[in-house]
Amino acid sequence: MACPHLSYRSSANDTEFDHERAYCAVAQQFVQPMRADICNDRYNLAHDEHCELYRES
Amino acid sequence: MSYEQYLAGDPLIITAALTGGVHGKETSQNLPETPEEIGEAAAAVEEAGAAVVHIHARRPNGERSFSTERFQTIDDEIRARTDNIIIQHSTGGTGAPDELRHQPLRTDPPPEMASLDMGPLNRYDHLTSENTRGLVDSLHEEMVERGVKPEMELFNDGHLNELYGLLERREMGDPVYATLIFGGGTLTRPRPRNLLNAVDNLPDGALFNTLGFGRHQLPLTTMGLLLGGHVRVGREDNVYYRDGELATNEQLVARTARIAEELGRPVATPAEARAVLTL
Repeated sequence: MACPHLSYRSSANDTEFDHERAYCAVAQQFVQPMRADICNDRYNLAHDEHCELYRES
Repeated sequence: MSYEQYLAGDPLIITAALTGGVHGKETSQNLPETPEEIGEAAAAVEEAGAAVVHIHARRPNGERSFSTERFQTIDDEIRARTDNIIIQHSTGGTGAPDELRHQPLRTDPPPEMASLDMGPLNRYDHLTSENTRGLVDSLHEEMVERGVKPEMELFNDGHLNELYGLLERREMGDPVYATLIFGGGTLTRPRPRNLLNAVDNLPDGALFNTLGFGRHQLPLTTMGLLLGGHVRVGREDNVYYRDGELATNEQLVARTARIAEELGRPVATPAEARAVLTL
């Protein structure tokens, strides 16, 4: 299950993209692609184990 | 390799790391992510003096991809837009299952080179890219089968020991090509004496490539070329041209080529690089 703080947006903070990209509500910014894999619990990654933003939220 | 190679004016191989697997367009919009953008960037850095492009693959939304098909699409774009550049795939992938780490080796044709991460490194606060010896050996095995030249990535001095261990365990084609990496976190602390030390501790006959993250890219690659080594620059490792000014890949390659020529190291063409690396 993906992180509850994750959403996909094409714009935020005066930045726009052609595709929707991973956005973190805790950090209030678009996240790095590697971090997006953690947000999505993709591969062998898990947001509740590997993301300090989720763990501290 | 040594200062003697610098004095002899040995050609300098410039590798351009165009995209990387960590940050994306959230850093700056001109980071190449799509196959078309990566192909265009490869053509620009070839024109600027790069002999090798180091490639990571991304999904359409910029997130990481390890699929053979995505690497194939990127390679097709690169080959359509460049003359002769050497394609080097990344086999890195923090958190990715081992099977996915092999996928970039399975394009048709295979890449001429591929990275081989020599051991663990920390990511963020709660994550480690493990790069076990078992994975290193299995990736190397498949590289040998497919005729892919490994580019051994040494993220810290402990990975020098891992390189010696790999050489004891496995038959390695000459020359051994090792990238010495300097930066924060688990990486070797980016200081000039640490580059000297790493070069002094390389196996006999090994060629080296210097990689410095962020502001350390320019001084340490310049030092590396004076020590007779080769260099890697590009947006994967360094976002800025100078303080506060975002860079393009071709700007970073062109600056390195200009410095090398001024210092008496001619820049290697892809054909010359193939001869040096015995590809």
